[in-house]
Amino acid sequence: MLELDHSFTTGKPADYNWDAIVDLDRVIPCVEGGRVVERTSPDEAKAEIVVKMGAMSLTFKGTVAVAERDETAHRATLRVKSREAGGAGYANADVAFLLNDGGGTIHTKAQISGKAASMGEGVVQTVLDALITDFTQKLATI
Amino acid sequence: MHVIGSDTGTLEVRTKKAGAAAKAGHNLRMEVGAWQATIDLDAAAATLTADPRSFRVIEGTGGVLPLGADEKAAIPQTIDEEVLKGTPIEFSSTNVDVAGGRVHVQGDLDLFGTRRPVGFELELADGRVRGSARIKQSDWGVKPYSALFGTLKVADEVEIAVDARSQDDA
Repeated sequence: MLELDHSFTTGKPADYNWDAIVDLDRVIPCVEGGRVVERTSPDEAKAEIVVKMGAMSLTFKGTVAVAERDETAHRATLRVKSREAGGAGYANADVAFLLNDGGGTIHTKAQISGKAASMGEGVVQTVLDALITDFTQKLATI
Repeated sequence: MHVIGSDTGTLEVRTKKAGAAAKAGHNLRMEVGAWQATIDLDAAAATLTADPRSFRVIEGTGGVLPLGADEKAAIPQTIDEEVLKGTPIEFSSTNVDVAGGRVHVQGDLDLFGTRRPVGFELELADGRVRGSARIKQSDWGVKPYSALFGTLKVADEVEIAVDARSQDDA
Protein backbone atom coordinates (compact mmCIF):
# COMPACT_ATOMS: atom_id res chain seq x y z
CA MET A 1 0.00 0.00 0.00
CA LEU A 2 1.39 3.37 -1.05
CA GLU A 3 0.27 6.48 0.80
CA LEU A 4 0.91 9.99 -0.52
CA ASP A 5 -0.11 13.47 0.59
CA HIS A 6 -0.54 16.51 -1.63
CA SER A 7 -2.14 19.92 -1.48
CA PHE A 8 -3.52 22.12 -4.20
CA THR A 9 -4.59 25.69 -4.77
CA THR A 10 -7.54 26.84 -6.83
CA GLY A 11 -8.16 30.29 -5.44
CA LYS A 12 -11.86 29.40 -5.43
CA PRO A 13 -14.35 29.10 -2.52
CA ALA A 14 -14.75 25.75 -0.76
CA ASP A 15 -18.24 25.22 -2.19
CA TYR A 16 -16.87 25.68 -5.72
CA ASN A 17 -14.06 23.21 -5.02
CA TRP A 18 -16.56 20.73 -3.58
CA ASP A 19 -18.76 20.88 -6.67
CA ALA A 20 -15.74 20.28 -8.89
CA ILE A 21 -14.33 17.30 -6.97
CA VAL A 22 -17.60 15.35 -6.74
CA ASP A 23 -18.38 15.96 -10.42
CA LEU A 24 -16.68 12.94 -12.03
CA ASP A 25 -17.05 14.43 -15.52
CA ARG A 26 -14.88 17.36 -14.40
CA VAL A 27 -12.40 15.67 -12.11
CA ILE A 28 -11.46 12.50 -14.04
CA PRO A 29 -10.07 14.36 -17.10
CA CYS A 30 -7.78 16.26 -14.71
CA VAL A 31 -5.76 13.04 -14.47
CA GLU A 32 -3.31 13.03 -17.39
CA GLY A 33 -4.48 10.31 -19.80
CA GLY A 34 -7.75 9.86 -17.92
CA ARG A 35 -11.22 9.92 -19.44
CA VAL A 36 -14.78 9.05 -18.56
CA VAL A 37 -15.95 6.09 -20.61
CA GLU A 38 -19.52 6.03 -19.28
CA ARG A 39 -21.44 7.61 -16.44
CA THR A 40 -23.25 4.76 -14.68
CA SER A 41 -24.79 6.85 -11.87
CA PRO A 42 -24.44 10.36 -10.41
CA ASP A 43 -21.70 9.02 -8.11
CA GLU A 44 -19.99 6.48 -10.35
CA ALA A 45 -18.37 6.30 -13.76
CA LYS A 46 -16.57 3.79 -15.91
CA ALA A 47 -13.21 5.31 -16.74
CA GLU A 48 -9.80 4.56 -18.18
CA ILE A 49 -6.34 6.00 -17.86
CA VAL A 50 -3.53 5.63 -20.34
CA VAL A 51 -0.11 6.10 -18.73
CA LYS A 52 2.43 6.86 -21.45
CA MET A 53 6.02 5.80 -20.86
CA GLY A 54 7.53 7.18 -24.02
CA ALA A 55 6.66 4.72 -26.78
CA MET A 56 5.22 2.26 -24.28
CA SER A 57 1.97 2.76 -22.45
CA LEU A 58 -0.13 1.04 -19.84
CA THR A 59 -3.93 1.28 -19.92
CA PHE A 60 -6.06 0.77 -16.82
CA LYS A 61 -9.83 0.36 -17.14
CA GLY A 62 -12.30 0.37 -14.28
CA THR A 63 -14.56 2.51 -12.16
CA VAL A 64 -14.30 5.73 -10.21
CA ALA A 65 -16.90 6.26 -7.49
CA VAL A 66 -17.63 8.89 -4.87
CA ALA A 67 -17.32 6.43 -2.00
CA GLU A 68 -17.65 8.85 0.90
CA ARG A 69 -19.03 12.35 1.02
CA ASP A 70 -19.53 14.90 3.80
CA GLU A 71 -20.61 18.11 2.14
CA THR A 72 -20.73 20.04 5.41
CA ALA A 73 -17.11 19.23 6.22
CA HIS A 74 -16.16 19.36 2.52
CA ARG A 75 -14.67 15.86 2.70
CA ALA A 76 -14.99 13.33 -0.10
CA THR A 77 -13.26 10.11 -1.08
CA LEU A 78 -13.04 8.93 -4.66
CA ARG A 79 -12.52 5.16 -4.96
CA VAL A 80 -10.68 3.95 -8.04
CA LYS A 81 -10.82 0.27 -9.01
CA SER A 82 -9.12 -0.66 -12.26
CA ARG A 83 -7.49 -3.52 -14.10
CA GLU A 84 -4.61 -3.37 -16.51
CA ALA A 85 -5.89 -3.80 -20.07
CA GLY A 86 -4.44 -6.96 -21.59
CA GLY A 87 -2.72 -7.92 -18.38
CA ALA A 88 -3.28 -9.36 -14.93
CA GLY A 89 -2.37 -6.23 -12.98
CA TYR A 90 -4.59 -3.79 -11.20
CA ALA A 91 -4.47 -0.26 -9.79
CA ASN A 92 -6.82 0.58 -6.94
CA ALA A 93 -6.84 3.75 -4.91
CA ASP A 94 -8.79 5.70 -2.33
CA VAL A 95 -8.27 9.40 -2.93
CA ALA A 96 -9.48 11.46 0.04
CA PHE A 97 -10.09 15.18 -0.49
CA LEU A 98 -10.46 17.79 2.24
CA LEU A 99 -11.50 21.04 0.62
CA ASN A 100 -11.31 24.57 1.90
CA ASP A 101 -11.47 28.11 0.60
CA GLY A 102 -8.67 28.43 -1.92
CA GLY A 103 -7.90 24.75 -2.48
CA GLY A 104 -7.51 21.60 -0.43
CA THR A 105 -5.49 18.54 0.48
CA ILE A 106 -5.38 15.04 -0.98
CA HIS A 107 -4.47 11.82 0.83
CA THR A 108 -4.00 8.91 -1.54
CA LYS A 109 -3.83 5.22 -0.63
CA ALA A 110 -2.96 3.10 -3.65
CA GLN A 111 -2.39 -0.56 -4.41
CA ILE A 112 -0.77 -1.39 -7.74
CA SER A 113 0.22 -4.77 -9.18
CA GLY A 114 1.27 -6.23 -12.52
CA LYS A 115 3.55 -4.61 -15.09
CA ALA A 116 3.52 -1.22 -13.38
CA ALA A 117 4.51 -2.75 -10.04
CA SER A 118 7.32 -4.70 -11.70
CA MET A 119 9.20 -1.39 -11.99
CA GLY A 120 9.64 -1.48 -8.22
CA GLU A 121 7.87 0.31 -5.38
CA GLY A 122 10.28 3.25 -5.45
CA VAL A 123 9.64 3.92 -9.13
CA VAL A 124 5.87 3.45 -8.76
CA GLN A 125 5.82 5.89 -5.84
CA THR A 126 7.87 8.45 -7.80
CA VAL A 127 5.60 8.20 -10.84
CA LEU A 128 2.41 8.24 -8.76
CA ASP A 129 3.65 11.30 -6.89
CA ALA A 130 4.39 13.03 -10.21
CA LEU A 131 0.98 12.01 -11.60
CA ILE A 132 -0.87 13.42 -8.57
CA THR A 133 1.24 16.59 -8.59
CA ASP A 134 0.27 17.07 -12.24
CA PHE A 135 -3.36 16.37 -11.24
CA THR A 136 -3.23 19.09 -8.55
CA GLN A 137 -1.91 21.58 -11.11
CA LYS A 138 -4.87 20.81 -13.38
CA LEU A 139 -7.26 21.14 -10.43
CA ALA A 140 -6.06 24.73 -10.11
CA THR A 141 -7.79 25.49 -13.40
CA ILE A 142 -10.89 23.35 -12.93
CA MET B 1 37.97 11.29 -51.46
CA HIS B 2 36.24 8.76 -49.24
CA VAL B 3 32.49 8.43 -49.75
CA ILE B 4 30.46 6.51 -47.20
CA GLY B 5 26.76 6.14 -46.60
CA SER B 6 23.85 3.95 -45.70
CA ASP B 7 24.61 1.65 -48.63
CA THR B 8 28.11 0.88 -47.34
CA GLY B 9 27.75 0.96 -43.57
CA THR B 10 25.92 2.09 -40.48
CA LEU B 11 25.37 5.38 -38.69
CA GLU B 12 24.11 4.58 -35.20
CA VAL B 13 22.58 6.83 -32.57
CA ARG B 14 22.78 5.49 -29.02
CA THR B 15 20.77 6.97 -26.18
CA LYS B 16 20.70 6.20 -22.46
CA LYS B 17 17.75 6.44 -20.12
CA ALA B 18 17.74 8.76 -17.13
CA GLY B 19 15.46 10.18 -14.44
CA ALA B 20 13.91 8.87 -11.25
CA ALA B 21 11.86 6.31 -13.21
CA ALA B 22 14.74 5.26 -15.48
CA LYS B 23 13.98 1.63 -14.60
CA ALA B 24 10.86 1.91 -16.75
CA GLY B 25 12.80 2.98 -19.83
CA HIS B 26 15.30 1.51 -22.27
CA ASN B 27 18.73 2.34 -23.59
CA LEU B 28 18.25 2.60 -27.32
CA ARG B 29 20.45 1.67 -30.23
CA MET B 30 19.08 3.22 -33.40
CA GLU B 31 20.24 3.32 -36.98
CA VAL B 32 19.88 6.18 -39.41
CA GLY B 33 18.47 4.60 -42.55
CA ALA B 34 19.50 7.24 -45.09
CA TRP B 35 22.75 9.19 -44.82
CA GLN B 36 25.87 10.05 -46.78
CA ALA B 37 29.26 11.45 -45.81
CA THR B 38 32.44 12.46 -47.56
CA ILE B 39 35.99 12.76 -46.26
CA ASP B 40 38.40 14.55 -48.56
CA LEU B 41 41.87 14.37 -47.03
CA ASP B 42 43.46 16.35 -49.87
CA ALA B 43 41.05 19.25 -49.43
CA ALA B 44 40.93 18.75 -45.64
CA ALA B 45 37.15 18.68 -45.70
CA ALA B 46 34.38 16.42 -44.44
CA THR B 47 30.59 16.53 -44.80
CA LEU B 48 27.59 14.55 -43.66
CA THR B 49 23.89 14.68 -44.41
CA ALA B 50 21.34 12.42 -42.74
CA ASP B 51 17.60 12.04 -43.21
CA PRO B 52 15.96 12.94 -39.86
CA ARG B 53 12.95 10.81 -40.77
CA SER B 54 14.90 7.61 -41.41
CA PHE B 55 15.61 6.47 -37.85
CA ARG B 56 14.84 2.90 -36.85
CA VAL B 57 15.31 1.16 -33.54
CA ILE B 58 17.73 -1.77 -33.59
CA GLU B 59 17.40 -2.67 -29.93
CA GLY B 60 16.25 -1.40 -26.57
CA THR B 61 17.96 -2.75 -23.48
CA GLY B 62 17.81 -2.36 -19.73
CA GLY B 63 14.04 -2.03 -19.33
CA VAL B 64 11.90 -3.90 -16.82
CA LEU B 65 9.53 -4.73 -19.66
CA PRO B 66 10.87 -5.83 -23.06
CA LEU B 67 10.66 -3.35 -25.92
CA GLY B 68 8.23 -4.91 -28.40
CA ALA B 69 7.92 -4.50 -32.14
CA ASP B 70 5.10 -1.97 -31.77
CA GLU B 71 7.16 0.19 -29.44
CA LYS B 72 10.20 -0.06 -31.73
CA ALA B 73 8.04 1.16 -34.59
CA ALA B 74 6.54 3.98 -32.50
CA ILE B 75 9.84 5.48 -31.35
CA PRO B 76 10.93 6.89 -34.76
CA GLN B 77 7.49 8.50 -35.05
CA THR B 78 7.96 10.12 -31.63
CA ILE B 79 11.44 11.29 -32.65
CA ASP B 80 10.02 12.78 -35.82
CA GLU B 81 7.01 14.46 -34.23
CA GLU B 82 8.40 15.55 -30.88
CA VAL B 83 12.20 15.71 -31.11
CA LEU B 84 13.76 16.33 -34.53
CA LYS B 85 10.53 17.54 -36.19
CA GLY B 86 12.02 16.99 -39.61
CA THR B 87 14.84 19.49 -39.14
CA PRO B 88 17.92 18.77 -41.27
CA ILE B 89 20.94 16.88 -39.93
CA GLU B 90 24.01 18.26 -41.66
CA PHE B 91 27.68 18.51 -40.79
CA SER B 92 30.41 20.45 -42.54
CA SER B 93 33.99 20.59 -41.33
CA THR B 94 36.00 23.64 -40.48
CA ASN B 95 39.22 21.75 -39.88
CA VAL B 96 40.52 18.26 -40.71
CA ASP B 97 43.86 17.01 -39.36
CA VAL B 98 45.37 13.69 -40.37
CA ALA B 99 47.77 11.85 -38.08
CA GLY B 100 48.60 8.36 -39.26
CA GLY B 101 45.37 6.48 -39.77
CA ARG B 102 43.43 8.83 -37.55
CA VAL B 103 41.54 11.89 -38.70
CA HIS B 104 40.64 14.65 -36.28
CA VAL B 105 37.62 16.55 -37.50
CA GLN B 106 36.21 19.84 -36.25
CA GLY B 107 33.15 21.44 -37.74
CA ASP B 108 29.57 22.59 -37.39
CA LEU B 109 26.58 20.32 -36.91
CA ASP B 110 23.07 21.44 -37.84
CA LEU B 111 20.70 19.67 -35.48
CA PHE B 112 17.31 20.58 -34.02
CA GLY B 113 17.42 23.65 -36.30
CA THR B 114 20.57 24.99 -34.62
CA ARG B 115 24.19 25.02 -35.79
CA ARG B 116 26.80 24.22 -33.14
CA PRO B 117 30.51 23.26 -33.26
CA VAL B 118 31.46 19.62 -32.67
CA GLY B 119 34.67 17.61 -32.84
CA PHE B 120 35.33 13.91 -33.27
CA GLU B 121 37.94 11.42 -34.42
CA LEU B 122 37.73 8.93 -37.27
CA GLU B 123 39.87 5.92 -38.05
CA LEU B 124 40.59 5.08 -41.66
CA ALA B 125 41.87 1.53 -41.92
CA ASP B 126 41.32 -1.57 -44.03
CA GLY B 127 39.08 0.33 -46.43
CA ARG B 128 36.69 1.31 -43.63
CA VAL B 129 35.81 4.50 -41.78
CA ARG B 130 35.04 4.13 -38.09
CA GLY B 131 34.51 6.62 -35.33
CA SER B 132 32.13 8.11 -32.84
CA ALA B 133 31.15 11.41 -31.29
CA ARG B 134 29.28 12.34 -28.14
CA ILE B 135 27.02 15.34 -28.15
CA LYS B 136 24.82 16.95 -25.54
CA GLN B 137 21.34 17.82 -26.74
CA SER B 138 21.26 20.81 -24.39
CA ASP B 139 24.23 22.30 -26.29
CA TRP B 140 21.78 22.63 -29.21
CA GLY B 141 19.23 24.28 -26.92
CA VAL B 142 17.08 21.16 -26.69
CA LYS B 143 15.60 19.76 -23.50
CA PRO B 144 15.93 15.96 -23.75
CA TYR B 145 12.69 14.05 -24.36
CA SER B 146 10.88 13.02 -21.21
CA ALA B 147 7.78 11.03 -20.27
CA LEU B 148 5.93 9.93 -17.15
CA PHE B 149 5.59 13.51 -15.93
CA GLY B 150 9.31 14.14 -16.34
CA THR B 151 10.40 11.15 -14.23
CA LEU B 152 11.66 9.18 -17.26
CA LYS B 153 14.10 10.96 -19.57
CA VAL B 154 16.51 10.44 -22.39
CA ALA B 155 19.96 11.30 -21.05
CA ASP B 156 21.35 14.57 -22.35
CA GLU B 157 24.44 12.95 -23.88
CA VAL B 158 23.93 10.97 -27.09
CA GLU B 159 26.56 8.87 -28.87
CA ILE B 160 26.76 8.83 -32.65
CA ALA B 161 28.87 6.10 -34.22
CA VAL B 162 29.82 5.38 -37.79
CA ASP B 163 31.23 2.20 -39.30
CA ALA B 164 31.24 2.03 -43.09
CA ARG B 165 33.17 0.66 -46.01
CA SER B 166 34.78 3.49 -47.89
CA GLN B 167 34.15 3.94 -51.59
CA ASP B 168 37.15 5.80 -52.94
CA ASP B 169 35.63 8.41 -55.24
CA ALA B 170 38.94 9.94 -56.23
